[in-house]
Amino acid sequence: MFASIREHLAASAPHDAVRAAHHAAAAHGKDVSAREEKSAAVVFEGTAVERFRQALEAVAGHCSVVRGEAAAADALRRIILERGARRIAVSDSPLARRIATLAEANSGEESELIDDAGAAELFDCDLGVTGAQWGVAETGTLVLESDAERHRLASLVPSAHVAVIEARSVRQTLGEVLRALGSGGAERLSRTVTFITGPSRTSDIELTLAIGVHGPAALYVIIIEGEGGTDGG
Amino acid sequence: MRVSLFITCLVDQLWPSVGASAVEVLRRAGCEVVFDERQTCCGQPAFNTGYRNEARRLARRFIEIFEDGGADAIVSPSGSCTAMVHHFHELFGDDEAWCKRAEALAARTYEFGAFLVNVLGVDDVGASFKGPVTWHDACHGLRDLGVREEPRRLLRNVRGAEFVELPNADACCGFGGTFSVKYPEISVAILDNKIDAIEKAGVRAVVSGDASCLMQINGRLTRNNSSVRAMHLAELLASHE
Amino acid sequence: MQHPTSETFDRNAREALEDVQLRGALRNLATTFGERRKLAILTVEDWEGLRERARASKDETLAHLDKYLKAFAENAERAGAQIHWASDGAEACRVVLDLIRERGATRVVKSKSMATEEIHLNAALEAEGLAPVETDLGEWIIQLAHETPSHIVVPAIHKSKRQIAELFAEKVGVPPTDDVAVLTGAARRILRQSFAEAEVGISGVNFGVAETGTILILENEGNARLTTSLPRTHIAVMGIEKVIPRLEDLDMFLKLLPRSGTGQQLTAYQSLITGTKRRAEDEGPEELHIVLMDNGRSRMLAHPVTRQSLACIRCGACLNACPVYQQVGGHAYGSVYPGPIGAVITPQLSGLRTNAQLPYASSLCGACREVCPVKIDIPELLLHLRAEVTEGTAAGTADQRGPVKSRPLERLAFKLYARAWASPTLYLWGARVARVLQRLVVRDGRIGRVGGLMAKLAPPLAAWTEWRDAPPLAPRTFREQWREEHKG
Repeated sequence: MFASIREHLAASAPHDAVRAAHHAAAAHGKDVSAREEKSAAVVFEGTAVERFRQALEAVAGHCSVVRGEAAAADALRRIILERGARRIAVSDSPLARRIATLAEANSGEESELIDDAGAAELFDCDLGVTGAQWGVAETGTLVLESDAERHRLASLVPSAHVAVIEARSVRQTLGEVLRALGSGGAERLSRTVTFITGPSRTSDIELTLAIGVHGPAALYVIIIEGEGGTDGG
Repeated sequence: MRVSLFITCLVDQLWPSVGASAVEVLRRAGCEVVFDERQTCCGQPAFNTGYRNEARRLARRFIEIFEDGGADAIVSPSGSCTAMVHHFHELFGDDEAWCKRAEALAARTYEFGAFLVNVLGVDDVGASFKGPVTWHDACHGLRDLGVREEPRRLLRNVRGAEFVELPNADACCGFGGTFSVKYPEISVAILDNKIDAIEKAGVRAVVSGDASCLMQINGRLTRNNSSVRAMHLAELLASHE
Repeated sequence: MQHPTSETFDRNAREALEDVQLRGALRNLATTFGERRKLAILTVEDWEGLRERARASKDETLAHLDKYLKAFAENAERAGAQIHWASDGAEACRVVLDLIRERGATRVVKSKSMATEEIHLNAALEAEGLAPVETDLGEWIIQLAHETPSHIVVPAIHKSKRQIAELFAEKVGVPPTDDVAVLTGAARRILRQSFAEAEVGISGVNFGVAETGTILILENEGNARLTTSLPRTHIAVMGIEKVIPRLEDLDMFLKLLPRSGTGQQLTAYQSLITGTKRRAEDEGPEELHIVLMDNGRSRMLAHPVTRQSLACIRCGACLNACPVYQQVGGHAYGSVYPGPIGAVITPQLSGLRTNAQLPYASSLCGACREVCPVKIDIPELLLHLRAEVTEGTAAGTADQRGPVKSRPLERLAFKLYARAWASPTLYLWGARVARVLQRLVVRDGRIGRVGGLMAKLAPPLAAWTEWRDAPPLAPRTFREQWREEHKG
C-alpha cells in the first residue's frame, strides 16, 4: 500500500508545482502563515468552575459545586433519593468510593452499593458513580482515563451517571487537556480516554432531540472545592 | 480612468439596454468607456460543462483582445463572467507564459458594481427609482469575487427606492449554466424557493448583477404573471424615475 | 432490495421532487442545521483561521501519507492493536469476516461507520450467515427498513416519525406511537440485549493519531462506547485518509466537526482508544483490530485537485448547505455518500463511468465550499471531473484515456460554439440568423412553452420553457447599437 501511495504522490508532483507557483503569484491579501493560535472566543468572566457549570447546563447536564467531601456526599444522597436509585455501581476511584459510601450509608435501607460490578451486573444498576481525571470548562466536558480509574462502564451502562471531580482538575480548554494527555508520550497515554459532555442524546428521528439513548439519560457532576485546592480559574 | 467594456454574450444578445445602462453609469462616474468589437465570449459555458479545449481557445482570444486595449480596467456587468476571467489560469496548466498573461489580465478585470464602489470609490450615482427593491446575490459574484456589500451600498443610495434585504439572498437561484436544462426540475425547484421569498418581500423589483440569474428568475416571474420585475444593477442605477 | 443508482440520478431526482414528505424533511434539515451551525461558529474566535489550519494540517498529512500511516500503524501495534491492510472493500470485508470466523463468534454489533457502508460490509457478513446489528438509532432504522443511509450524519432523515413508528411496530413489535421519547426508549431497550450478548463490536474511526496510534470515535448516543467496550473483540474499519499527525491536532478538528455538522460544540462522547487494555482485569476488549482501507483513496493522491477530497472529515455540512441535496435528498445520488462531497468522491471511489451524472448534479453555487470545515473546493473538483467525463483530460481519476461519456451532439454543439464565437463575424451572423428563427417561438415579446417539433429540434429550449419563459434575442445586439452610435 505504501508503494501505491508514493507512486500516486509522485504523479501529483508536477501539478503541485504549478499550483504552488500560482498561489505564490496571486496575492490573496490574507497572510495565512501569520495566524497565531487564538484561544476560544467569548472571553469568560469568572472561574473555570463557573464556566464549566454553565457549559454543562447548556447541554442538559446537572452541576453542583460544593465545599468538602461531606457536602459532596450530601449532594449525591439527594440524587439517589430523588431518582429512587436502588443499585449503585461505583468505580475504583478512591474519591468516588468515599463519597458514594458516605452517601449510600445515609440514604436508607433501600439502596445498595456495588463496587467492581461486572458488565452483566451493570445492566441491573440504575446509577453509576465515578470520578473524573479532568474537566474542561469551555465545553463542560469530563475526561476519564482508564489508567487512573476503572470505570468506563459505570459511566455508561446505568441510566444515570454521577461524576465527582475536584475543582483543581478543571482546566479551561480542551487543547490544554489534550496536550497534558499527550505530554508523557504514547507509552504514558491511557489506553482508553473518554470525553463526556452531557447525557446521551440523538436527533435521528425528524431532528427531534431525545435524551438518553444508549448512554445515561442523566448526567450529574459534583465539583468539590476543598481547602488547598484552587478553583482552577 | 479608461474602461474597456466586457459586454458578455447574454447582455449583448438579450439585454443590450443593460450594456447601455452600464456605459451611462460608468460615464456618469467619470470614466471614458471603450468597446472592443472583436470580443465575443469568455468561454464559461464550455469550461463549466467540461470542454476545456474549447474554453481554452476562447480564453486565449479574450486575453489577446483585452490585454493590450490600453484600458486601465476591464469592467463587466456579470459576476460569473468576471469570475471566469479570474479562473483563466486554470486552463493553462504549466504554460507559465499564458498563466502570467491570464493573471495580469484578471488583476484588472472587475465586476461592475464592485468596480464602482471599490475602484472608483463611488456608491451614489444619482439614480432614482420608485418602490421597494431587493437584491439577489449571484453565486459567482458573491463566492468567487466576494461581492456582497458593494451592490447593497449602491442600492441604498437610489432615491425613492426602499432597500429590502431578501431572506436567504445568498441562496442559489438554480441556474448553474447547463444545469438549468440538464436537470430542469431541480433547477426550478431551487428557483421556486427564491421566487417565494421575492414575492413575500413585497418588492417592485429584484435586482442582481448577473444576467444568467436574471434570466432564470425573470423567466419564472413572467411565467407566473408576477408583477415583480427582475432588473440588472446597471439598469436600476441608470434609472431616473 | 434494489436501490437507485447514480446512473438514473435524473429519474431519481424527479421522483424525489414528487415526494412531499421527503421535501418537508429536507427543508427541516437545511433550516435546523443551517441555523445551528451559524450560531455555533460564532463561539470560535477565529473560525476562518481554524479552517485554514485544519486544511494545512490535512494537506501536510496527505502529502506524506505513507509516513504518517506507517507511524500510526507502528504506534498502534506497540500498544497492542493488530493492524490489517486492505487495498479494497472486498478485501476489507474478507478480513473482517475472517476475524469473526476465526473466533467462532456469531453475535456482532456495529456502531455507525460510513466506511463500512461504503464497502457494504453488512451485506457481506449477512451473505455468510451472520446478522450484524446496527446500534446507532438512525442506522438501526434503515437496517430494519432494508434501506441505505440518505445522509452521512443523520442516515434516516428521509423518514418521518410516523414511518419509523410503523416500521418499529412491524419489525420489532413496538406499539405504534407518536412520541419520539417512547420510540427512542424502545430502541434502547431492544438494542441493550444485543450489547449484552455481543462477542464482536465493529466500529469506524473518525481520526487516527499517528503520534500515538490512537483512534478517536465521536458520537452522541453512547452506542459506539458500548460497541467498543463490551464485546471481547473490537474491529475498527478506518479509511487511510483519516490519519492526523498529533494528539493535540484533535483540538482543532473537534472544534470544527461538530459545529459544522450539527451545530454542537462537542458531541456527547469521544472515545480515544490506544491499543488494548494494560491489565487483563481491566474493562474493555481483549483484542483491537484496525483495518486500514484504501479502496480507491490512494488514487486520489495523484493530483492536487483530487487529493483535497481526502481532507473530508465527514461532517455533513456540505449536504445541509447544498440547494440540490435540499431538494432531492440522499437516495437520488445512488451512493452512501450523497450531496456535494458524494458527487465528487463517489465517482472517484467507484469509477466515473458508472457515476458520470454526479459531477453535473450541481449548480456550482459554492455553498458547500463556504461551509466545509477543511475548505475543500468542491466546485473546482466538480469541474475537474466534468472535464474528465467529456475529454478524459484531468489526471488522477480515470483509468482510461478519452471521454468517459461520449455525448456526440453536445460535443458537436460546443465545438461549433467555440469556432463561431472565436470569430466576431460568425458571432454576429449567428445572432442575425437566430433572430429570424426565433420568430417561430416568440409570442408577445417572450418565448413560452415550446413543444412539438421545435422541442425535438432544440431539447434545451423545451427543457427551459417547460417552467420558465425565455427572453427573446433583442432586435439589435449591444455591439450593433454601439457601432451605430459611434459611426464616423
